[in-house]
Amino acid sequence: MEIVRTDFPFVSLSIAIPALFSLLLVFVNERFIKPLSLIGSGITFLLSLCVIYLFDYSRGAAVQFYEEYVILQELNIKLSLGLDGLSLLMYLLTTLVSLVAIVWSVRDKQINFRLREYFFAFLMTESFLIGVFASFDLIVFYVFYELTLIPMLFAIGVWGYKLRLYSAYKFFIYIFVSSLFLLLGIVSVAVVHYTDKGSFSFSYFDLLKNSYPMGFEIFLFLLFFIAFAVKTPLVPFHTWLPDAHGEAPTAGSVVLAAVLLKMGTYALLRFNIGLFPEASIKLMPLMVAIGIVTIIYASWMTIVQNNIKRFVAYSSVSHMGFVVTAMFLLNYEGLRASVIEMFAHGMTSASLFMVAGFIYGRLHTFNMENLRGSVKFMPVFALIVATTSFAAMGLPGGSSFWGKFLTMLAAREYSYSLALLVLVGGFFSAAYVLFMLKTLFLDVREESILIHFTDIRGFKLASFVMLVLPMLLVGFFPHLFFNMFEGSINFVLKNLLGLE
Amino acid sequence: MDIGQLVGDIRIPRLELFLPELIVLITAFMLFTLDLVLSTRLKRVVLPSLSAIGYVLALMSVGITIQFQGNTFYGTFTNDYLGILVKVFVLIITLTVLAFSYKYYEAKNSFYGEFYYMLAFTLLGAMILASSYNLIIIYVSLELVSIGFYILTALLRGSFISKEGAFKYLILGGLSIALASYGAVFMYIYSGSIDLRGILSYSGQDYHYLILGLVLFLIGFAIKIGAVPFHFWLPDAYQGAPTPVTALMASVGKLVFFIPVVRIMPLIQDKFSVAWMLTVGVIAAATMLYGNLVALVQRDIKRLLAYSSIAHSGYILAAVAVTKEIGLKAVIYFLLVYTVMAAGSFFVVAMLERAEGWNNEIREFSGLRFSLPYLAFSFLVYMFALLGVPPTVGFVGKALVFMALSFDGLWWLAFIMILSTAISTGYYVRLIVLMYMKDREKNVTIMGKSYAELVSLVFLTLLTVALAVVPGVIWQLLSPAASMLFVR
Repeated sequence: MEIVRTDFPFVSLSIAIPALFSLLLVFVNERFIKPLSLIGSGITFLLSLCVIYLFDYSRGAAVQFYEEYVILQELNIKLSLGLDGLSLLMYLLTTLVSLVAIVWSVRDKQINFRLREYFFAFLMTESFLIGVFASFDLIVFYVFYELTLIPMLFAIGVWGYKLRLYSAYKFFIYIFVSSLFLLLGIVSVAVVHYTDKGSFSFSYFDLLKNSYPMGFEIFLFLLFFIAFAVKTPLVPFHTWLPDAHGEAPTAGSVVLAAVLLKMGTYALLRFNIGLFPEASIKLMPLMVAIGIVTIIYASWMTIVQNNIKRFVAYSSVSHMGFVVTAMFLLNYEGLRASVIEMFAHGMTSASLFMVAGFIYGRLHTFNMENLRGSVKFMPVFALIVATTSFAAMGLPGGSSFWGKFLTMLAAREYSYSLALLVLVGGFFSAAYVLFMLKTLFLDVREESILIHFTDIRGFKLASFVMLVLPMLLVGFFPHLFFNMFEGSINFVLKNLLGLE
Repeated sequence: MDIGQLVGDIRIPRLELFLPELIVLITAFMLFTLDLVLSTRLKRVVLPSLSAIGYVLALMSVGITIQFQGNTFYGTFTNDYLGILVKVFVLIITLTVLAFSYKYYEAKNSFYGEFYYMLAFTLLGAMILASSYNLIIIYVSLELVSIGFYILTALLRGSFISKEGAFKYLILGGLSIALASYGAVFMYIYSGSIDLRGILSYSGQDYHYLILGLVLFLIGFAIKIGAVPFHFWLPDAYQGAPTPVTALMASVGKLVFFIPVVRIMPLIQDKFSVAWMLTVGVIAAATMLYGNLVALVQRDIKRLLAYSSIAHSGYILAAVAVTKEIGLKAVIYFLLVYTVMAAGSFFVVAMLERAEGWNNEIREFSGLRFSLPYLAFSFLVYMFALLGVPPTVGFVGKALVFMALSFDGLWWLAFIMILSTAISTGYYVRLIVLMYMKDREKNVTIMGKSYAELVSLVFLTLLTVALAVVPGVIWQLLSPAASMLFVR
């Protein structure tokens, strides 16, 4: 893997800026909190756009904007930050969704106490998330990965709904405990490097060169997998998610679904497939099976939900099933599908959670049936919901189309029956989305309580627009995004086929 | 025998190696004398300040001893990197104990001159225990520390649980000393030496004596560190002792009681690696699981922290089972940083105990963030550290233990450690949830905070994070310390 060092510390700056702004929030007057948070995440977003612009797409899998700072010489732990195509996309997603979450929170009526801590938590989460996607040292990755837990624990536990304490607990315990397996895996990989080469290293580039006996590689693969399967989440490790999402404040759900889940899938691709290619090939049937089960089981669960938040939560699980299935088909189309679907789902799930938040803000319930017939009174809102839903469903022109289409293509490479299963999954996802649209808008009620409601506007409209535009962008100009990670995917494939 | 020959044999001890201990010794005797002669009003000022001055001087002199390393007093006292590292932490923690105990006793309406000189003698014992291989010296310093703890535990004369705790501690402590010394006798019979290095490098015929001796000796220490199934005294003693003393016992006590084991760890493993791995591994597993499971159901915060302390003995023992050098490093690192976390968390409790109507019950932590935001925050840091969440020292400790276990392929122990950490999540996160996410039940206010307390608390909290973010500082001393012990 080629490394391109940078003169200007773009990556560490984009980690530092939200963190610095969040520290600033501790000291400022109450009325500056919201503007400062907006500025902080806004600057980070602009910085990420700069990075996207400056990124050299012709360099393939190269890690660019690379920086390195030694933390512990003796164990060779370095703060090594950089971006390749894969992390670039996730980085963009993080800055965008964080900004959206903060824009949304500015006008969220639920957030009317402990503002300082609230915005502190969200800015910190942004900073940690960028750290996760930009780290090329496994220990540093782990540290950021764990750190994201803390602000989220508080976001759910403090500003969540009725069962918030239970959900916060469950969220923390599930993810913290599962990631201990990851920690064990990471140090074991480093120990293997030590016994082979005689020196410690936690660097991703060094560890890529490790080779293991087959049984041990599978063992290590599983240690990593447990952590990421819980985070992603895959059935049967998903039970924390509906609770966490159901109880989190809107912006919390947005960040959770759009970015935090991607940590799991991103890490599966980067670490599981990257570091253990042979085990990945060996375990491929199992992984694909888990993916398919996740798609179908979660779709069923989605259809029966009345609570719109839990509905979106389960649909997220189902989408993650698509991502993992596509990823572990281990071919070109599959990998492309999984990455683009990660990004696409980031947009759609964030948007749908905001829909839920908007409904709650108006009606103080998450029950979808209460909103029946609202299309009459809130046409703009209905339009946004429809666009988002169609994009999530996989209609051409929407962002998820490419993910689902390519997944089917990839599955077809193996067998028709596999492709058929994916097709069934796609069918279900269309079913639940249409079901939701019907419940929300089309069932007309005689005497609507909605008649006095104004349509969406202002900050909330802006946050929707910020998501809908990229959704359509992915749908209509997918090559812009495919170009970003093409090189990285080729690298992963070469690594899998043993060409390097 | 010719007089000249006799005098010639007496070598002048290299006092420069012994300087910190000497300073503490002098301080202790001065405190003792002053306690006899001064009036109570003067004592209240003089004794704490004199102790503080003595400890600071001792801490500074530790820096001097770095350049003079080696053995003295006929090889019975060894000043090496490990000893120096331990002494630095022991002195720092004792200084903070001093800072917290003043207000604590004031709030309890009691003042004891004994406290100051017993603390100094305990400290002296701890420092000597940290730097000796000699069985006699270990025995004597172990007694010195233990007797100090018994008395300090029982110091709240009016309190029943204080006396009960001290009594249990005394009985089991006595048992442990007896076992350890009995073990020492067998080791002497085996090798004819009272130096642990000599004993373990001696290759005699009668291995049974060595094994018996070692087992008894180590059981003695297992009692001291509260390893399951020798832990029964610990929760009661921790609960009964005045809280700053509990902090001392949990941090300094645990640290120095482990040190002789750490010193002989590589030597024992040389002889009995498989048996060692298995025995210590099983004890570690039992200790982790038991400590965490029982902590889960505690209602009293001091007992909860006591059981968490037992569990931490288990984590450290897990690394003791490892026969590679990294195991030694993990043990030393975890021990050192545990002193900071444990002391810090008990100090928070010590401060809270001064609040009106505070009963040390866990539910009283509800909404503490609103009453005492800064105190709640530092407690939050300690809880995350004890749980092992980055970027705190607890995380680095656990990562190192995992690494050590992975080196030796002790996967079963690693999985048990994951399991027990999972259990511990329950109570640590519960405290955090109570403090930050529940409404307050009552308004907790602490009367009369002193600057010494605040500075100490801030310092310990920062240390909990800083030693993990900049691990190089501690590692530079830790690495040679471990390498010197681990000569294969």
